[in-house]
Amino acid sequence: MTSPLNPALAAFLTSHISIHFAATGTNGMATLVRGLGCRIAPEAPTRLRLLVSRPQAEPVLRAIEETGRIAAVFNEPESHRTVQLKGIDARLESVDQCDQAIHGPYVDEMSRRLKVFDTPEPLVRTLLACAPGEFAVVSFTPQELFGQTPGPQAGARLPAGTGAP
Amino acid sequence: MNRLISMDSLRNCLEGVVPSGIATSSPDGTPNVTYISQLMYVDQDHVALSFQFFNKTRENILANPQATVLMMDPDTAARYRITIRYLRTETSGALFERMKAKLAGIASQTGMTGVFRLLGADIYRVLAIEALPGRELPPAEIGPALLPALRRSVDALRECRSLDGLIDTFGSCLERHFALDHQMLLMVDEGGQRLYIVASRGYASSGAGAEIPVGVGVIGVAARERTPIRIIFPAAEYAYGRAIREQIEKGELADELETEIPLPGLAEPSSQLAVPILAGERLMAVLYIESDQQCRFGYDLEDALVALCAQVGFAMCALQSTTGEEGAAPAAPAAVGQGAALRVRHFGRDNSVFLDDEYLIKGVAGAILWKLLREHADSGRSEFSNRELRLDLGLKLPELCDNLDARLILLSRRLADRCEHLRIEKTGRGRFRLALARPVVLEGEG
Repeated sequence: MTSPLNPALAAFLTSHISIHFAATGTNGMATLVRGLGCRIAPEAPTRLRLLVSRPQAEPVLRAIEETGRIAAVFNEPESHRTVQLKGIDARLESVDQCDQAIHGPYVDEMSRRLKVFDTPEPLVRTLLACAPGEFAVVSFTPQELFGQTPGPQAGARLPAGTGAP
Repeated sequence: MNRLISMDSLRNCLEGVVPSGIATSSPDGTPNVTYISQLMYVDQDHVALSFQFFNKTRENILANPQATVLMMDPDTAARYRITIRYLRTETSGALFERMKAKLAGIASQTGMTGVFRLLGADIYRVLAIEALPGRELPPAEIGPALLPALRRSVDALRECRSLDGLIDTFGSCLERHFALDHQMLLMVDEGGQRLYIVASRGYASSGAGAEIPVGVGVIGVAARERTPIRIIFPAAEYAYGRAIREQIEKGELADELETEIPLPGLAEPSSQLAVPILAGERLMAVLYIESDQQCRFGYDLEDALVALCAQVGFAMCALQSTTGEEGAAPAAPAAVGQGAALRVRHFGRDNSVFLDDEYLIKGVAGAILWKLLREHADSGRSEFSNRELRLDLGLKLPELCDNLDARLILLSRRLADRCEHLRIEKTGRGRFRLALARPVVLEGEG
């Protein structure tokens, strides 16, 4: 299967935009958490690495360990451009320095983006805060891509090779 | 469910300030995650989601009705994960209309006007609430404490012995105890099709007598559905000025609606709340408040005003039907001022009244004024009682009986707005005086 992760899409996903991801456990129920950053490691260019607060993500991490099924939605707040990616090989990774290093820039950029909506910066920084020892990283290979920008076309499957929404 | 947290204490998360995320799963176990533009509080055990498009989330919940929502308090950043189960979809009625109005505000706030169109309100039962660990900000304190404000207002309203006293006290309670600067009180007309402004505060002109059709704008929809409508972001399609202009352009009600008296009100309100005032099942009036501040009116204020309006509704009903201990009005000689005569013209077709060629009012209030001026011209009387007016006009306008007091209040306020030479002054319980600062010449036509 062709990976939908072309350079334009990869740039969009790692441009410090809003992230939520969900997983379905063996009980068939989906649960979700907010992501705190996304990067693509040079040594594994087909996988997305999602940073998250481990205490907040606990049921999601458990579901990922059970089934590996994941869906992640990425939204650029000021433009509403949104995509959802799905994969079946999600797994927990050990957190490395490069993962932790994206958190600061991620919070700074999200604070800047949400100023459009008059969202106070302390609120954004509180929402996205995570103690250094509490990060977790989930990685997966995106297999399916869906346009999710609000409107009647939201949810349409996008062909592999589609760039940023 | 965690009984320490209920949806009652999490309503702030449901205002649409920050979009929530929702996760669903297809029967084969594939998760789906997306943002929801609106999650609405229904009661402590239920929430509603807006259904705008048939999408994967909807397909999933129809097959596997359990979903998880991640939401955030827009003041404290506290996060909650709630597990919900789909029950049904409502496509009309009070909840649907509340959601539709709120969605218009959210659409406008997020630059999505024209994209969002509500097809239904999906009702879910809340199965579990989980507070997520993490940093939080202290809760924000906005506006006065609501329960003491409600208590003080209830105490003040209990002392009212007349409808106009009730209307004034209600307005001053909202101003003083609830710090609400822009407010209107609209009574329902005799046919139940229109609302007319009987009092307002916070505007350059009172707008007494201006009308709004039931079903139009925030106020009209609140009246039709008998449910509060609250919007906390600017929503142009619900601004009543625009809604009524469009209605008139379409030709509906154009002949009947009072269009000469301009509506007061903020040109582009950022927060709006209309609360129907009911006495049992009967719609008496609508309270409308607005602000140029976003997110000014919360769920708790809505609750407090619904409670207060319940008392106002029964008080209105009781005070309107009070005939008082009046007896026959004395035929006191009229004290008429000096100066050039004021020309009063009346057109029987629509009971419109003009003072020196300037439009004053039409309809029932116009008929009342004409009746008083004729009586004064014929007998010299200036003292009247509500009761005699009710008996007399009641023969011609039977539907007026219940509304006479409110119409008199409207007329007296409209006169105060427009004419310094002609006044209606209250002289006692159920009694009033027609005060003329200039002689009048009456010209009846049609």
